Parts: sequence; structure tokens; C-alpha cells
Amino acid sequence: MNELAQLVDELCDRSTGDELWRNLEDTGLARLTSGQGAGPAEAAIVLSGLARHAAAAPIAETDLLAVWLADKAGVSIPDTGPLTVAMADTAEIDGRLRGTVHDVPWPLSTVVLAVRTADALHVAAVEDAQAVDGHNLAGEPRGSVAFDMAVGDMHAVDPGVADELIRRGAWARCNQIVGALDAACDLTVGHTGERVQFGRPLSKFQAVQHSLAAMAGEIERARAAAALAVAAAADYGFAHPATDYAVTAAKVAVGRAVNPVTTIAHQLHGAIGVTAEHRLWRTTMRARSWVDEFGTTTQYARRLGRMALAAGDPWDVVVSYPAAR
Amino acid sequence: MSDFDALCANDGELAQLRTSIRDFLAADRAEFGWQPAVDSWLAKWDPDFSARLAAAGFVGLTIPADYGGLGLGYLHRYVVTEELLAHGAPVAAHWIADRQVAPALLSYGTEEQRGRLLPQIAAGRLYSAIGMSEHGAGSDLAAVQTRATRTDGGWLLRGSKVWTSGAHVAHQIVVLARTSPLDPEHRHAGFSQFIVLTSAPGLTIEPVVLMNGEHHFNEVLFEDVFISDEDVLGQIGDGWHQVTAELGFERSGPERILSTATLIFSAIRALGDVDDGVAADVGDLVARMISLRQLSISVARTLADGGDAATRAALVKDLGTRFEQDSVELVADLLDYVQDAEPLRALLADARVHSPLFTLRGGTNEVLRGVVAKGMGVQ
Repeated sequence: MNELAQLVDELCDRSTGDELWRNLEDTGLARLTSGQGAGPAEAAIVLSGLARHAAAAPIAETDLLAVWLADKAGVSIPDTGPLTVAMADTAEIDGRLRGTVHDVPWPLSTVVLAVRTADALHVAAVEDAQAVDGHNLAGEPRGSVAFDMAVGDMHAVDPGVADELIRRGAWARCNQIVGALDAACDLTVGHTGERVQFGRPLSKFQAVQHSLAAMAGEIERARAAAALAVAAAADYGFAHPATDYAVTAAKVAVGRAVNPVTTIAHQLHGAIGVTAEHRLWRTTMRARSWVDEFGTTTQYARRLGRMALAAGDPWDVVVSYPAAR
Repeated sequence: MSDFDALCANDGELAQLRTSIRDFLAADRAEFGWQPAVDSWLAKWDPDFSARLAAAGFVGLTIPADYGGLGLGYLHRYVVTEELLAHGAPVAAHWIADRQVAPALLSYGTEEQRGRLLPQIAAGRLYSAIGMSEHGAGSDLAAVQTRATRTDGGWLLRGSKVWTSGAHVAHQIVVLARTSPLDPEHRHAGFSQFIVLTSAPGLTIEPVVLMNGEHHFNEVLFEDVFISDEDVLGQIGDGWHQVTAELGFERSGPERILSTATLIFSAIRALGDVDDGVAADVGDLVARMISLRQLSISVARTLADGGDAATRAALVKDLGTRFEQDSVELVADLLDYVQDAEPLRALLADARVHSPLFTLRGGTNEVLRGVVAKGMGVQ
């Protein structure tokens, strides 16, 4: 596992952009779970490692979402290159599905379109998506994809597949956010150790130390929740209720860590952290953008709350997933 | 074995143990009628419960069988501890002896001390207090001035301790005292630990009463209390090391997360049909508990494997006790949506009185954040 993390570090240290993508493909990391037989534990290491480096590469979208969904639906996709998924809910009208999906990550790649109707999830690969170009706060590609397809041209799978697709996305974002927050923390520890004011480094001030400790606490708590989600996916797969539970809890715990960690990181950096030339915002703004994807923190909090309210004893939901064991 | 179940402390033997302690608690409560309480590990002193719990095999879990214990692992104890707290059981009488004194005896005690004290602890019949803080030595524990001086066959203890929980009902107090004069260059040197019977001549106990009239804390005065050599705990001069070495266990345990669990769970159970906003508030509370518990268990596993988790243990206590505090007012808000909130008001009132203590006892959160910062390499 350490070797995998080191490989990610090494690739990110020596390449960015298209070159990084090629390196990720050459080493098999681009399709680790779909092509290399690796599992969620390995995927989590790669995703958090890439996020630590603020690497711009749609590995989650390609490996965990698009290839998986295309396989599930029997849709053929290119063997190489970045992929993404665009998900929409709509109703069939005159045998066609029409609509626009917003905030699609990496919309200029091949898009695996997933349109959920009342009775099925309709899947198709779209090579020349009508994408409107845009980006998130950290500069990662985000855009709108319009679609207008005949139902007969798409492959239908059980609508429950959509739930797993969203869960996979949320799971990936949790691991990515932990990586981004780790990087923000490292940068902040480094900055406060170097920046001198009043004749001493910022980190010598007790108020600063307490902020650093608060930041570390939020991150460790988020990491612990994400680790449970990784274990659940590795043990039981993404379709299992244990994974549903652990991802739900992690999405809330990780989501609630983003604001305090981001706020403290910027506060302790001073204004330099928001300038174009500085690296900090590339981690903090990734975390801020990712946190709303595949369901907001509040949506997952509501879901976890409903689980606890429905349980005979809410303590059971704290200990493990609420299901007949 | 599944990693997921292991992370939930719910695999194999641990899951069985969890079921048996739950069964015991349900049956015992049905028969003896105790009410689940907040902060029960400080506030609910019930010697009969402690004895029944021990008889059923849930005290002295990590004490070896040779000394009357069960010889189980630290995670077994973790499971029993969290179940007791989650159900608000009246555990205060045996708590400190089982949690702190037994491990100290196993690490530093003499064979004679172990043989004499551990079986009684495992039977839930020995109650101990810990005498650390003094009027001038709170967060700065190295400022302790209580002094033990050498005399024939033992030591004479002189000084005072304060905030000594349960001393007025305990059999003994484990006291930290200076045995050599303060060396300003090595403030942590020259401390030793003594096991002092509360019945010893020269020892007096005065109550320190809480704002609501509850009596848990005490001031303990030692006026040349004689302590025989048999009651020295560990090595003379090693007291500081002995009291700090196992802080990780104490700082990261379930009692730093679950002091208000009874209030939280009672409130959630009392909520009927609620709107999405309230459901999200409940989910946020539960997510904080789950993530804190996960962090706490991961520290417990590291410590049980002999690893170093000092920084993360301090983090658990800082985060966990702040959660305990926050939870009280979050629940107060939830009560707005409970049809008949009256039965919960008493729990809420208790929690509000005890809440300031959560972030003070066993080391203030300000001190803990200093420990964390040091662990991050910035101090």
C-alpha cells in the first residue's frame, strides 16, 4: 500500500496535465479497479494521493464511475482516455429522453450518460457531448451536458444502479477531500513555521497552535469516517447496506470538516493564500467544490438522521449499520 | 474477519460480548430500576450495581485471571465501557479503580499489592480515588506541593488535594506527591505515587459541592499521614512517568465521547415524525458521534498493539469533550419538536450542570491542544 502511495507521489512530482494522465494510464492507475483488479482500498489511496497534490486528473470519474457503469450496462467505451458520467432524472416523452445535466465533472471527455426514469436507468456513451465549458472554484473542468436521445438507443439497467453510482461518487469525493485537507494542513504547518511576525514564527503563538490543533482534529475525525467507508466498500462492495451507511456517515463527517479546515488554513496563511500564484487555494477550493458533489452534506445528514430515527435504539446506528445482522 | 466489523469494534468475540453486556444491562435495569443518567461515570455511585456487574463478569476485564480478572484485551474493555456509558449505567463506584488503578498496579505495582487489590477491584468492591490536582496545581500538575518525607518503615504525607472525585466514599486514594525537592531545571523529577487508605489517621476529607448541590468532588487534607513502604506504588521518583505513561488510554476512551449519550438517544427516541431540517440535525449529531467513535477506536487499536498515539489520543479528548458539550444545547433545540419533553428536562438539567466539567477533567482542552500542536511539530 505504501508503494502505491509512493508511486502516486512520484508521478505527481514529475508530471501534470496530459502528461500526468498518460503516466497514470501507463502505470495502470487510471483504471485501477476496473482494469487492474484492484479494490476500493487501493482506489482510496490513489484518490487521496492525487488530491494531496491537487492533481487535475479525473480518475474517480473514469475508473470508479464511467467504466463501472458502462460495464454494468453493457455500453462500449474507449479503452483509454479520461471518461466521465453525467446523471439526470427525467421522464420519457415520445420515446425520447431530453434534458441538460449541470456541473458535470470533466465534461469534455467521453461522457457516459445515465438518465433515470421511474422504472430504469438508461445508459449510453456520448462521444461528442454538447458540453458547455466551465470550471469549479479550483479550476477543474465542470460543465453542462445537453442530451436528446431515443430510449431505444440506450441500455436500460435497474434504477437501483443509480443509487450505487451516486454512492461511488460520494465515496470518491470523501477520500479526495481528506487528501486535499491533508495538503492544506501541511501547507499551513509549513507557512506558520516560516512566516515571522513580532520577531518569531507564527507557530510559536499559542493562539496559532490552537488553531492548528483544531484543524488537525477536524481532519483526523474526517479520516476516521472515510476509513470506515473504505473498509465497508472493500469488504462488502458498494451495493451493500454497510457501505451505504458508512458512506452516508462519512459524507457528513468529511463534509462538516471542510469549512473549519479551509477557514483556518486561509486565516493562518494571511491574504497570500487567496492569490493566483499560491498553492493553498488549489487544495481548499477543491475541497469546497467537491463537498457539494454527489449530494450535499445536508442531504446525507438528513439520510443519516432518518436512519437513527427509524432505529429502535439510535446507539445501534452509532456502532454499525442498521440492518438485520 | 471483516475490517469493517473490526473498525466498528463489532467483530467475533467483541460482538458476542456486546450482546451479553446489553442483555445484562436490560435485565438488571428491569429488576433493580436504575435510571439511565448523563455523566454516570462521575455521578452515579451504586455499590450494589458495581458488585452485580462484576459478578456477571464485566469488571476487571483486562485484569489477568490469576488476580481474579478475565484476562481479556483492551478492546473487550472498550466495548463493555462504551455499552455501559451509552446506557447511562450507574458505574461510578468501581470506575476509577477499574479504569485507572488496575492498569497502574499491573504496570508498576508489587506482587503483594496486586494480590491484595486486584481481586477486590475485579469483584467491583474496591473504590478508589485519584489524588492529583491541588489548589496551586491544576493544568500545571508539576506544581504539586504535597510532600512525602521518609520515616521509619515508610513515609509521612503532608499537603492537600482537591477535585478528588469520590474520595468521601472511596476506600483509598492514589496520591501523587513530591519525594524530593523541586529542581527548577527538571520539574517533572522527584514525584512518587502512594496508595493511601481514606481511613488513615491524619487524613480528612471536606466536600466541594457542585452548584446544584451534588457532592462528587472533595478536598483531601494530609497531616503527616503515615504510609508504609508496602503502599508505595511503583518506584520512588518515577511518579511523573507513571501518571503520564498511560494517559493515552484515558484520553481517548469512550468516556470522552459518551457522557451525554443517554440524553442524546432519549431525545432521538422521543422525536416522532419530524421534518427534513430536524432529521438533518439528528444526522449531524449522529455523524459526529460515529466519526469520533471511529477515531477513538482507531487510537484504542493502536495503543492495544503497543503503538504510540499520544497526539491522536489528545485529539480525541479535545474533539470528544467539545462534542459532549455541544450536544447538550443541540439536544435542547431538538426538544422543541418532542411531544412530551418533560421527562427529558431532568436529564438536560443534569447535563447542563456537568457540561463545563467535560472539557476540564483529566487535562483541560487548552493543554491538550498544546499537546497536539507539539505532535504536529510546531511547538
